[in-house]
Amino acid sequence: MERKTKKISSKLLAFILPVVVLTVVALVLIAATLSRKRMTEMATETLESSISNQADNIEAWLSENLEYFSTVKHMMEAQNPGPDEIVPFLDSLYGFNSNSPNGFYLGTADGKLYKATESGKNDSDVTGSTWFKQGISRIAMAYGTAYKNDLGQTVISATGILNDGSDVIKVLGADVTLDKISIIVNSAVKMKGASSFLVDTNDYKILAHRDVNLIGVNLASAGSDALLAGAAKSIMDNDLSSKEIDGNMVAFSSITGTDWVLVSYIPTNVILKSVSQMGILLFIVGAVAIILIIILILLVVRRVIAPLTHISDNIAAMSEGDFTIKVDSSSNDEIGLMGLKVSEFVASMRNMLASISDESEKLKEESDNSDRVSKTMYEASQSQADAMKQLNETVDQLALAVNDIAQNATVLAGVVADTRDNSDKAHDSMKETVDISQKGRADMEQLSVAMSGISDANEKLVESINKVGTASEEITNIVAIISDIAEETNLLSLNASIEAARAGKAGRGFAVVATEIAKLAQTSSENANSISKLVEEIRKLIDDAVSQASDSARNIKENSEHIHVAVGTFGQIYGNIQDTNTLIEAMIKDIQKVEDVSANVAAISEEQAASADEILATSQNMVEMANDITRSSQDVADNSHELAGTSQTLTSYVQKFRI
Amino acid sequence: MIKNTSIKRLFIAVLTFVFISGLLTGCGDKGGSSASGSDVRVFYTTPVLDDFKGLLLNAIKDNGTKYGVAVTVGEPCSSVDEQVSQIREAVSSGYSMIICNPVDVETVLQLEVAAGDLPVIFINSQPEEDKLEANKYMYVGSNENDAACFQAEYVWNKLGKPSKMNVAIFQGQPGHPASQARTKGVKDYFKKNNVDVNYVFNDTAYWDTEKAHDEFLIFLKTGQPFDTVICNNDSMAIGVANAMQENGYDTAKIPVVGVDATDGGCQSIRDGGMQFTVYQSAVGQGAAAIETSIALVKKGSAAGVEGVTDDALYVWVPYVPVDNKNVNTFK
Repeated sequence: MERKTKKISSKLLAFILPVVVLTVVALVLIAATLSRKRMTEMATETLESSISNQADNIEAWLSENLEYFSTVKHMMEAQNPGPDEIVPFLDSLYGFNSNSPNGFYLGTADGKLYKATESGKNDSDVTGSTWFKQGISRIAMAYGTAYKNDLGQTVISATGILNDGSDVIKVLGADVTLDKISIIVNSAVKMKGASSFLVDTNDYKILAHRDVNLIGVNLASAGSDALLAGAAKSIMDNDLSSKEIDGNMVAFSSITGTDWVLVSYIPTNVILKSVSQMGILLFIVGAVAIILIIILILLVVRRVIAPLTHISDNIAAMSEGDFTIKVDSSSNDEIGLMGLKVSEFVASMRNMLASISDESEKLKEESDNSDRVSKTMYEASQSQADAMKQLNETVDQLALAVNDIAQNATVLAGVVADTRDNSDKAHDSMKETVDISQKGRADMEQLSVAMSGISDANEKLVESINKVGTASEEITNIVAIISDIAEETNLLSLNASIEAARAGKAGRGFAVVATEIAKLAQTSSENANSISKLVEEIRKLIDDAVSQASDSARNIKENSEHIHVAVGTFGQIYGNIQDTNTLIEAMIKDIQKVEDVSANVAAISEEQAASADEILATSQNMVEMANDITRSSQDVADNSHELAGTSQTLTSYVQKFRI
Repeated sequence: MIKNTSIKRLFIAVLTFVFISGLLTGCGDKGGSSASGSDVRVFYTTPVLDDFKGLLLNAIKDNGTKYGVAVTVGEPCSSVDEQVSQIREAVSSGYSMIICNPVDVETVLQLEVAAGDLPVIFINSQPEEDKLEANKYMYVGSNENDAACFQAEYVWNKLGKPSKMNVAIFQGQPGHPASQARTKGVKDYFKKNNVDVNYVFNDTAYWDTEKAHDEFLIFLKTGQPFDTVICNNDSMAIGVANAMQENGYDTAKIPVVGVDATDGGCQSIRDGGMQFTVYQSAVGQGAAAIETSIALVKKGSAAGVEGVTDDALYVWVPYVPVDNKNVNTFK
């Protein structure tokens, strides 16, 4: 296999160089970022300090002038000069303050303007003028907003109502020109490269600017300039913190005592000029460092790894099987030690190869021997395995037979058990039958007794009926007597009525009685006849009853006889059943014996089957073992064969080395 | 194998970088906070008392008791020298915090130097922003700009939101931060709402009733029309309202407004003089000063205190607008 080898030096460079380059780039970037941030902070601070200084200057200048103006106003209020004294008063102050070249002037609500004689101040409409309107809005002197005066100058007037107690309002004023303020704004910038401008927040007019054309212009309307527009937005939003607008660092400061805001700005590239210079320098230093590191690595690697080349040649030779080489170990570092160890290794390898060669020869002979032995063993074990297999089959058959017996015995035991269960049930039902037949016989005996009772009762009934027959005969006799009596009575009454008729009228009552008695005798006779008829009917009925009672007595007697026969039959049945029960009990005992015997047979034959299985398993094992031995002896034969081959190969390999 | 080794090396390099950068950036977690003010010792220094300063002093004392903060009040100072030496003494006596109502707000830097390492909360007079430092030198007060906005808003709504107005302004002491901020706030409000305002009078009356009264009389002589008079405080508003009533102007139609809701101001509203004022809660400011003190001493940061600004320079206590509807709740 062909392998591409790279030089160690190029590998080292490949590892170290990217790390060094990354580190240098990171350092440069970090340094540049940090210094940029720091420079920006410093510039902001400088700008803020500059603008605060400027603001202080402007405030000082304004308040200095305002104080002077206030003092004059106070003086004038104290002196309260008359109309004629005003101009001389103003004259006396004229030229004293260079910031206000036109001096003081005084306007009144009725339109008069007083001013110093030499003053250039002029106003056609005093009460309509900006300064007068501003002036009447305050008593203390204060600055108003910027405006253009009659001479075309942009000025700011400090004005205030003269508090002289009169009812005519007078406004004292003094003008300062914006030029003056511009000079202060432009010249007092403390930071190199920075500029400033001043804005009145009442009307957003620019009061001072480096560009004269912008003075008096509304900040918001100077829209084309992004810086001015940004500053206008900040001021209108009341946000006077320092910020970056259109590539400029911008700071704001409000001027105390006025509604003015001073804006100072410096282009950021001015601030960051030194930062980019430093960045370039750092990059150059970094690049030089990288080149130096490359050269250094190459030099060091060359010097250090030179002896390695020789050793690597030696090792290449060794890999080809040449152990006759001589290794250089002159170097005094790790590489020298490596050479020394390699030469020691070569020497020991030489010895080892020689002894391996000897040993492999011996090994070959021994393996041939073992090959032969194992072949013989293989054959012996094969025949043993066959014998074993036959034995196994025989045992197998035996086991099958024993198993059959066991199964049959088990089935028999099962059948016997079932039979015993059934005869148990028969025994139980027989017992029930005995009980029932016993009860039946008792019931039958009771029935016989009851039947005797009925027969007696029937006889008594016949007797009673006969008595009734006798009684009715007697009644018939009595009725005959009554009938006779009635006959006689009738005759008597007939006689009586005849006698009565004879007696005539006196016997008339008696005739009536005789007639009635005749009627009674008639009726009695009729009744006696009907009674005798009734008694006749009763006697017939009694005769019927007597004959029926005789019938039933006969029937009862027959039944009693039948019952007697039934009782006898029941007794016989009971005896038979008792005998059968005894027979069944004897049968159950016999079945029990059969069951025990068959269970014993099943258990014994099962044991026999188990033993046969064991014998089978054992003989199976023996077959397997015999097979194993056969296989093993086959393996041994194979191995010893292989060993013989291996020792042959080994011998041939060892012979390749040159010792 | 070569590739594996290089990956391993890269991995080790990255890990090393991460650990080192972790060490450099540091892990500056701060401990938890507690609302209780025990262990906080506050020294309060104040100029000679007036109504409001008296209320403020009591509010600070009361809230100190409420939060368990030990508050010591120095003898009211009549000069900056006295105040400076009072602060120096407080530092050497081991106080943990100074609340300062400056005699002269221009001397704030000197007061901060006198306080050494102690944090200082300024109150009542607002120092310039560049004199303050986040979580160290803070101002607790009410935002003057809010007061001015309330005034301007009231007046503008009262007059039916006209697009043009004639306004007279009476300012406090010239250069005083409150008078500057209150005046600017009014002007900014009208600018923001595009109202064309003609400031027919705009001058200082030095916070004073008498001066405002006299100046208003002079203003009347100029004969200029005026729709409203906005004053930087109640005292001046009372003077103006009196002068208007003496000269037959109807203060119900021409609103006169002030700031502070002083007893006099509230009385004037009840009597139909002034129409409106803004209540600066001395109690609220006192409570905020104590709460901020506890936060600064315990946590070193005012974060979480109600009303603290994002730059941690101010803690604003809200103003409350007062007119004849709610004036009786301010006595």
